[in-house]
Amino acid sequence: MSGTAAADVFAAGGDVGRDLAAVDWTQTPLGQPEQWPQSLRTAVSILLASRFPMWMTWGPELTFFCNAAYRRDTLGRKYPWALGRSANEVWKEIWGDIGPRIENVLSTGEATWDEGLLLFLERSGYTEETYHTFSYSPLRDDEGALVGMLCVVSEDTKRVIGERRMGTLRDLGSDPSVVRTEQEMLAFTAQQLGKNLKDLPFTLTYLFAEDGRARLASSTGIPAGHPAAPEIASADGPWPVSGPARHESALVELPSAGVGLPTGDWADPPAEALLVPLLRQGGAAYGFLVAALNRYRALDEEYRGFIELTAGHVAAGVASARNYQAQQQRAEELAELDRAKTTFFSNISHEFRTPLTLIIGPLDELRSRAGEDMREDLDVMHRNALRLGKLVNALLDFSRLEAGRMQARYEPVDLAATTADLASVFRSAVERAGLTFDVDCPTLPAEVYIDRGMWEKVVLNLLSNALKFTFDGGIRVAVRAEDGRAVVTVADTGAGVAPEEMPRLFERFHRIENTRSRSNEGSGIGLALVKELVLLHGGTVGAESTAGQGTVFTIILPFGAAHLPADAVVPAADAAAVSATADPFVQEALRWLPSAPDYPIETAVPVPGSAARVLVADDNADMRDYLTRLLRSAGHRVTAVGDGRQALGAARADPPDLVVSDVMMPEMDGLELVAALREDGRTAGVPVLLLSARAGQEAAIEGLEAGADDYLFKPFSAAELLARVRANVELARMRNHHARWRTALVESLQEAFFVCDEEGAVIEINAAFTDILGYGPEGLPYRGVPPWWPDAETDADAFAEVAAALESLTHDQHGTYTIPVNHRDGHRLWAAATFTGVHDPETGRRVIVGTFRDVTDEHYAIQRESAVASLSLRLSEAEDLPGALGGALAELRGLWHATYASATVFDGSPVPVFDATDASLTWDGLPQRRRDTITGLVGGPPLTPVSERDAGAGIAFGHPDGTMVVWLELGDRRPFTEQDKTLLALLAGHLGQALRRVHQIDQQRETALALQRAILGPAQLPAGFAVRYEPATRPLKVGGDWYDTVTLPDGRIGIVVGDCVGHGLPAATVMGQLRSACRALLLQDTGPARTLMALDRFAALLPGATCATVFCGVLDPATGRLVYSSAGHPPPIAAQADGAIELLDQGRSRPLAIRPTMDRDEAEYRMEPRTTLLLYTDGLVERRRQPLTEGIDAATDAVRLGRSTPIDELATEVMDRLAPDGGYDDDVALLLYRQPGPLELEFPAEAARLAPVRTALRGWLERCAIDPVTIQNVLVAAGEACANAIEHGHRDTAGKIQLRAIATAEDLRLTVVDNGRWLTPRPAENPYRGRGLMLMKAFMHHVTVTTGIAGTTIDMQARIVP
Amino acid sequence: MTTALTLTSGQRPDGVPVLAAAGEIDMSNADAFASALRVAVAGAAAAALLVDLTAVEYLDSSGLATLFQHADRIEVVTGPLLAPLLTVSGLAELTTVRGL
Repeated sequence: MSGTAAADVFAAGGDVGRDLAAVDWTQTPLGQPEQWPQSLRTAVSILLASRFPMWMTWGPELTFFCNAAYRRDTLGRKYPWALGRSANEVWKEIWGDIGPRIENVLSTGEATWDEGLLLFLERSGYTEETYHTFSYSPLRDDEGALVGMLCVVSEDTKRVIGERRMGTLRDLGSDPSVVRTEQEMLAFTAQQLGKNLKDLPFTLTYLFAEDGRARLASSTGIPAGHPAAPEIASADGPWPVSGPARHESALVELPSAGVGLPTGDWADPPAEALLVPLLRQGGAAYGFLVAALNRYRALDEEYRGFIELTAGHVAAGVASARNYQAQQQRAEELAELDRAKTTFFSNISHEFRTPLTLIIGPLDELRSRAGEDMREDLDVMHRNALRLGKLVNALLDFSRLEAGRMQARYEPVDLAATTADLASVFRSAVERAGLTFDVDCPTLPAEVYIDRGMWEKVVLNLLSNALKFTFDGGIRVAVRAEDGRAVVTVADTGAGVAPEEMPRLFERFHRIENTRSRSNEGSGIGLALVKELVLLHGGTVGAESTAGQGTVFTIILPFGAAHLPADAVVPAADAAAVSATADPFVQEALRWLPSAPDYPIETAVPVPGSAARVLVADDNADMRDYLTRLLRSAGHRVTAVGDGRQALGAARADPPDLVVSDVMMPEMDGLELVAALREDGRTAGVPVLLLSARAGQEAAIEGLEAGADDYLFKPFSAAELLARVRANVELARMRNHHARWRTALVESLQEAFFVCDEEGAVIEINAAFTDILGYGPEGLPYRGVPPWWPDAETDADAFAEVAAALESLTHDQHGTYTIPVNHRDGHRLWAAATFTGVHDPETGRRVIVGTFRDVTDEHYAIQRESAVASLSLRLSEAEDLPGALGGALAELRGLWHATYASATVFDGSPVPVFDATDASLTWDGLPQRRRDTITGLVGGPPLTPVSERDAGAGIAFGHPDGTMVVWLELGDRRPFTEQDKTLLALLAGHLGQALRRVHQIDQQRETALALQRAILGPAQLPAGFAVRYEPATRPLKVGGDWYDTVTLPDGRIGIVVGDCVGHGLPAATVMGQLRSACRALLLQDTGPARTLMALDRFAALLPGATCATVFCGVLDPATGRLVYSSAGHPPPIAAQADGAIELLDQGRSRPLAIRPTMDRDEAEYRMEPRTTLLLYTDGLVERRRQPLTEGIDAATDAVRLGRSTPIDELATEVMDRLAPDGGYDDDVALLLYRQPGPLELEFPAEAARLAPVRTALRGWLERCAIDPVTIQNVLVAAGEACANAIEHGHRDTAGKIQLRAIATAEDLRLTVVDNGRWLTPRPAENPYRGRGLMLMKAFMHHVTVTTGIAGTTIDMQARIVP
Repeated sequence: MTTALTLTSGQRPDGVPVLAAAGEIDMSNADAFASALRVAVAGAAAAALLVDLTAVEYLDSSGLATLFQHADRIEVVTGPLLAPLLTVSGLAELTTVRGL
């Protein structure tokens, strides 16, 4: 391959071009590229220049070409072997599918369109399941004949298979959130897997039983009891169980014969199966999944990923089901435990006192001796022992009260002093809380009998309560006498109690929720106890409260002891100091108050692997400290806060691995915390372990319902807490599989996925979204108009399209749109998007969930297809080159909404030829800049689009007259993308090819006309003949038909009509030679038969002349005698004046040069006067699917009907009548003659000429077989006309007169023309002359006198009496 | 060259004056025909001149005009060839035309 032409053809093709150049084209029917027709070269250029996958065939053996994109996407290992081979060899395996389509294109010229067609290709070393969307369109050669096929194809294999797999994964994930049993879960999974028998011809799910054996749990696509699906799979077979047990996948070859494996949706059984373990987080596999593999797809990363995701789902389902089972079991155990605990508490609470005493005592002892290192722990132990003691005491008090065993000892005391002493114990705590403490206890007028221990509890409880709920202001304790009774008030300026809570204020175990307090600790028995104790003293207790302002408790006690049982009244003891009872109250209150960091931040040493970041929330500082120390000791990193609100803040700032929270906390309790965490996407997945002192199943359920992951009751052991924490961190990962599954699913989608909130902001996207649009999750949320929308100003149309799609979503629940979007790097994409409006089940808000895929290729393929189709339509409608160009420019302008489209042809002349859709534009009128741009394109590579920013785009390509540049003036409205360029190149290629074709048609038309003039027939026909030659309509072609007349020396006329085989210039050349030969032979007066025999011998030597058909006759016009011979030609038709028909079918023999030595016969036909003779070629009468005789009958009818029509009009009439719809598809030659021919006389305008003219006219009329009377009448009329011409037209100057007479079957027409001025008859001046016109009118049926500047014409007609 | 026309003046045996024409009469020889007719009519005195056109093969309007001029002094004899012409032209209404 050295030719430049070859290099040019393949230049644009890169590697493929080089490989194409390396093909030995001489071995193909196409031959050397240098000799390829322009149309092939253009087609190959378009193919190679396109980035869209294309292939084509050309020529009789369907020689195969393709471009780089096709090689990349589809051809596989067949490259470069396929180049230059026959397409049916290249695509042998699918020829059954595509062969008929190609054949159809090549036979009808109609393009095909297939979408997502399944084809089994052999391009990767195995039979491969592939899908293709493609169109075959016809290719034509330089002469317009169908010679090839261009396929534009987009391979859909990945999309179709990806969608199918995603469908299965989506169905698996469609699992309703109700947790199922293992059986239900397996059944559901099997139902979903069974729907995809393409990717999973059959599946088996084996679960390891406790004995280590793998039991079949479910199967799809395979009948029960099949040898490949035994109940138990063991190391002996059929499945290698050891791999999955070691968490390894294994690829197993399946036996090819004998077993009768199910085939799934395919014709053949699978050849391999993949064993995938069902992994358990941090444990042995649950079992394994056997997935038989689609034998028509390779086990690539995607396929393997699909199966692993499927197995992952099954594993997660098993985990979920088993976890559910475990939870249920634990709930039951907890309920049992609670029942036992209740019994335990009620039975033995009093038993606490002894051990508590034995703890507190030695503790005090220890504390006094302990060093600093131990002190802290011991203090905690002490405080909590005291607290426990206090609680136990309160409980015991109650049980005593309930049992009526409370032994009160009432002694007379100074209530004011006693109360003031008790209050003073709280002073330091109150003041440390920043509150005022006002104690107003003046001495009372009388003694009050009280049990000191009980009174202490009353006052301390009230004070403790006041401190707990008061944050600002102060606390006031007052004692006074009123109405003969002692009144003690404890008032605070705290949170107050809502009115609806007031009735239950003193109810036992009733706790007022949602009130701001320093601590949520408390048993709810304090005030109840107060009330009981006051009642024992014969007093009353009440409360007044205003929410937000404070509460006043008022106790009223009678003076004296009259109201008390006498046996309980004792004398006054020593006024003892405040007892030990007060200590726990104060200690407890102090712990509520803010203090110096009493849980120092230690630098924890994380234990690798198991370390978790734990957030601890507890309002109790001791518990907080304790949990912190405990968790740190296990290697966790701990952050501790004092209430739910702080916990929420901390979790949002930095989501921990686990939150451990007390349920009851001030500000925001544990349940509210859980709810708030779950609501926020950032923390929704964080597991929460709730701790609570409130035992019982209901409490646990309440916590779990709120979204907590686990629930732990106080008291708990350190080991239990740590185990739960660890389990929850791990379990959380498992339990979170839903979220992770969702994430995995969303991320693995090949379609882009996104979620919009109510405001339209994009709040979630997946990886495919980023792949397609280039915008990543780092930009989330995308608010307002997203950056991938087309620009509203520069790309208004596209913007409007997107806006309209989004707008419709506000009233539709869902929709599917194909919309234009921009990639981050600016290039235009088309996305097929599906939107659905849904309600977020957790938040209840409406969100829009959407997916889209990149359909740019399909979009542009369709656009291209329709653009090419409409351009082709325009071009096919064009009659000539300007018409084709004008139509094409209009099409291009419309396609790109260009301001104008122009075509400039650089044909070598100083000013190029310029055309534009805007007719007012001229080349000189263009701005210099534009002229430069267009001129600049001429030198560049052809068919390579160039665009100029904010201006337009252009492309140069070959034009019959030189180089043409098409320019689209786009202005600054939109970018001209790569896709636009491909389309422009494609269309320009078509246009170039079409222009060349139209140009050729133009040339051919000219050639045909020239041929008609030059060789078809004589320049001057003898009188009485009419001829027609009509080239085939589309494409315009000269053919081999001809007619000829030869006037022989003796006045006879040789008549020839012939038809050479074939079309085009070669046939025309043969025809010319035959015609000349025939003419020469006739002139030698050889007679028709001998002429044809000589022509036989001549034709035998002339390539292409064999089998031509010829009718040859010699006519004596004087007598109407026609001698003729026919070489296989259709018979001429003779219609006599009376309508009788005769076919000249004698003297007929074989076509030319068949048996050239044999003789030919001659026949004679005598034409009666006014007989019309039609000679023709088969194009006139031959029609597809019609016998020839039908066509001949139609021609016969036409001649019979037209026998009174002048011969030339009749020729037109016959051609029109017989023309098929859409014109003749073969060329037609036609010759008509009517006997006798017309009389044509021209003579000087002299009276002396009248007699010879009459003689000639009389003779002609006699040949026409006109009766003598009519002859005389006609002679008179004609004589008068001529006399008048002499008289009036040429009175002053001598001129010429023409007389023409023609006869048809039923009438005569005479025309007398002079070139003088025929005066209006003036009877007064020359009365007898007026008689001339009268005579004409009297003897002829119709007379018309037309006088003009050039002369006068008299037309006269006479009907012929039969 | 004028059109062939032979004019013969004479009398029938019964003494009726006769002008016999043979050939064709058109504008090229109408003057000759007119002169002969004028002379013959004059020679026929009071009697009607018999114009014998039976041997005339063609007669045009110029010949007709001559006949019309002398219509009241002549009688015409014609063959079938000219009969339609003489009728159509109206001459038969002005003079006696025999042979119609």
